[in-house]
Amino acid sequence: MQFQFSDKNPHHPVTYASFFSMHTRIELVATGFTEEKGRELAQSIEAEVKAMEHRFNRFDDTSPMSVVNMRATNEAVTVDDELFMALELCEAFRRGTGGYFDVATASAATDEGYAVSYLLDPKKHTVKFTHQGVSLDLGGFAKGFALEQVCRRVREAGAENALINFGNSSVAAIGHHPYGECWSVGVEHTKVKGTMAREIKLNNGAMSVSGRNSDGVYHIVNPITGGLVAGDELVIVEGRSALVCEVLSTALYAAPRAQRSVIMKQYEGYTATELYCREGGSCEIRTIDCNK
Amino acid sequence: MNRKEFLSDCGKMGMAGVALSLFPWLESCTEKAKQEVHGEKARIGIIGTGSRGVFHIKNLLQLQQAEVVALCDNYRPHLDDAAQYYPKAKLYEDYRQLLDDKNVQGVIIATPLYLHGRMTIDAMNAGKSVFCEKSMAFTLDEALEVYNRRKELGSVLFIGQQRLFDPKYVKAMSMIHEGVIGDVVGVRNYWYRNNDWRREVPSPELERHINWRLYREYSRGLMTELACHQLQNGSWAMGMLPEKVMGSGSLIHWNKVDKRDVYDCVTAIFTYPNGVNMTFESIISNKHFGMGEQILGSKGTIDLVTGMHYTDEPMPKGSGMHQLVEQIERGVMSNSVFAGTSWAAETGSTAPGMPIMPNVKVVTGESSVGAEADGSKELVDAFLHAVITGKQPEKVLEESYYATQFALLADKAMHENAILTLEDKYRVPYVPLGSR
Ligand SMILES: NC(=O)c1ccc[n+]([C@@H]2O[C@H](COP(=O)([O-])OP(=O)(O)OC[C@H]3O[C@@H](n4cnc5c(N)ncnc54)[C@H](O)[C@@H]3O)[C@@H](O)[C@H]2O)c1
Repeated sequence: MQFQFSDKNPHHPVTYASFFSMHTRIELVATGFTEEKGRELAQSIEAEVKAMEHRFNRFDDTSPMSVVNMRATNEAVTVDDELFMALELCEAFRRGTGGYFDVATASAATDEGYAVSYLLDPKKHTVKFTHQGVSLDLGGFAKGFALEQVCRRVREAGAENALINFGNSSVAAIGHHPYGECWSVGVEHTKVKGTMAREIKLNNGAMSVSGRNSDGVYHIVNPITGGLVAGDELVIVEGRSALVCEVLSTALYAAPRAQRSVIMKQYEGYTATELYCREGGSCEIRTIDCNK
Repeated sequence: MNRKEFLSDCGKMGMAGVALSLFPWLESCTEKAKQEVHGEKARIGIIGTGSRGVFHIKNLLQLQQAEVVALCDNYRPHLDDAAQYYPKAKLYEDYRQLLDDKNVQGVIIATPLYLHGRMTIDAMNAGKSVFCEKSMAFTLDEALEVYNRRKELGSVLFIGQQRLFDPKYVKAMSMIHEGVIGDVVGVRNYWYRNNDWRREVPSPELERHINWRLYREYSRGLMTELACHQLQNGSWAMGMLPEKVMGSGSLIHWNKVDKRDVYDCVTAIFTYPNGVNMTFESIISNKHFGMGEQILGSKGTIDLVTGMHYTDEPMPKGSGMHQLVEQIERGVMSNSVFAGTSWAAETGSTAPGMPIMPNVKVVTGESSVGAEADGSKELVDAFLHAVITGKQPEKVLEESYYATQFALLADKAMHENAILTLEDKYRVPYVPLGSR
């Protein structure tokens, strides 16, 4: 972990920490902590996120997620409370996004399609797949989920103001920049590196961006068709919960344009925009209007 | 006063954390020093109540320690203008009479350049503390004479080099000495305007009195009027003095309009002992680039005019967030942290800069009178403090002395078409800022 503490500005001692987990860099900037407190917090966050990474990692044979993927076709697998809660949330989001957020998109195609791939039993805390070849991937969920946990920890530790960045694609704010009324997050222009296409102002809120990778690779799957989504736009979601932002931006990007406003109807308090960046540097911003 | 003390109580000027040892002349703006003169007033006489004189008057009206008791100008309309601000002040048309006025403790001289040296020496001889507008003197010899006379008499002497009191210069220089931009590898100064530099003349016989700036008989033109401010930057940043000076000047545009004989287009290069060059360029028939002062370092650049810091080093991934740490340290909120769909390494060249301190005041350099918040008021305030205490702050005169000498030397180089070195006889003890 990279850790830095500075009290050069006596009014706002500032803590910075950064580490790699969940295939990305996670960074924290927070004010109002002593060096000791800041370090302690950063270490506990790193430990928690890494533990979560392990638990949800389907590529790690020893992870609870892998155990489910290996055995749930044949039997109902009992999982721990946290994983069960996560799966329940995923299911709620699947329904809440008309199927465009789905942790079972990595599953092999079947004749029955993708509608229901797994069954959760809330009484027994078990998971059972509905057919062969199902495999759950919590990758699109885990970052938002972890970010939410990190925010909770930072808030509980008593940060005045903090900004937490999960790999640039999800950012959550506690309070505001000590010298402003918000934390300002610029969304980078996809065609002109280093320039800002849009500014998002966060104050006790979060934002998430979905689209092609910065190296231009499409990576989000449309759960309904099973194909890669090839949209050139970015979808940006802002709102209170980092998890909802993350899930929604993925679902909206995956969904056809016409479906997007339908999905947004379910999420009061969240705003979503489509951002089209052009070669010359100009861009177009469209709000996904839930009243349409 | 403890030299190690930091300027924490100059918070108002936004210079918290700046080491006083680097800028001893700022001592008077600490709370403690202010207490020292609390309730006391410096009785001031102003010689030369033209546009700069009146600019100072407007500042003096806001300064607690100031009591303007006498005014002098040999051009009646200007004297009467100034008298409106201070109806009780005694009025003089001959500065020597003002110097005889026992009630006057300190004088502010804002007359044409050719008078600076003589008036300063006469005032010091009369036992006055002196603030004289830049440049310090009309010739290299005269500047030295003023310097030496002050030393003999132990007088208080300030020169109107307000950058020394401008918070963003102070902050920037302190960052440069901390090594924030690495080794200084270049210093660029320029000042462009597009106007004739003339003042309105009520009747033709007043042309040379009013437009003294345009004639070599009274002025050294762009070098003493503009360059002397900017020539401080290199020495201040590197802690050394130029070794050789070359330059070229010409009249290319405004001579079509009048009979001026100072250049309207100049370029000078100052080479330091370590080989680093400082440039100064001024053209007054094109204003596109305005005023610029940039310190170029091996790791980054500080733009003194805009108060921005740019880094040359490729920023590590995640540095957008990391920049926030610096913003908070400096007490500023700057450009946004970048978000996107995934990490992209930023390079220094496209990375946006960051303000060096909160509320940077940017001065355009367009006005030939003066600008708000450019250090002028603080400079005069420090002078008032010195008038009361009788103490000359360290280093402040030497910084101004060399600014003048190198402006004059460059002017000489242009006229002689030669590469010049400041002769040893003109070298006075200089303890540069950098030596801690
Ligand atoms: N530090 C700065 O940023 C800054 C800005 C503007 C001007 N200045 C300096 O201030 C000085 C004055 O410039 P200005 O623009 O006010 O010029 P100005 O012509 O407006 O004022 C000069 C005044 O001096 C008076 N004067 C001339 N000879 C005199 C004499 N023998 N006795 C008494 N009064 C006399 C003139 O009548 C005039 O009123 C110059 O040296 C200039 O370089 C400094």
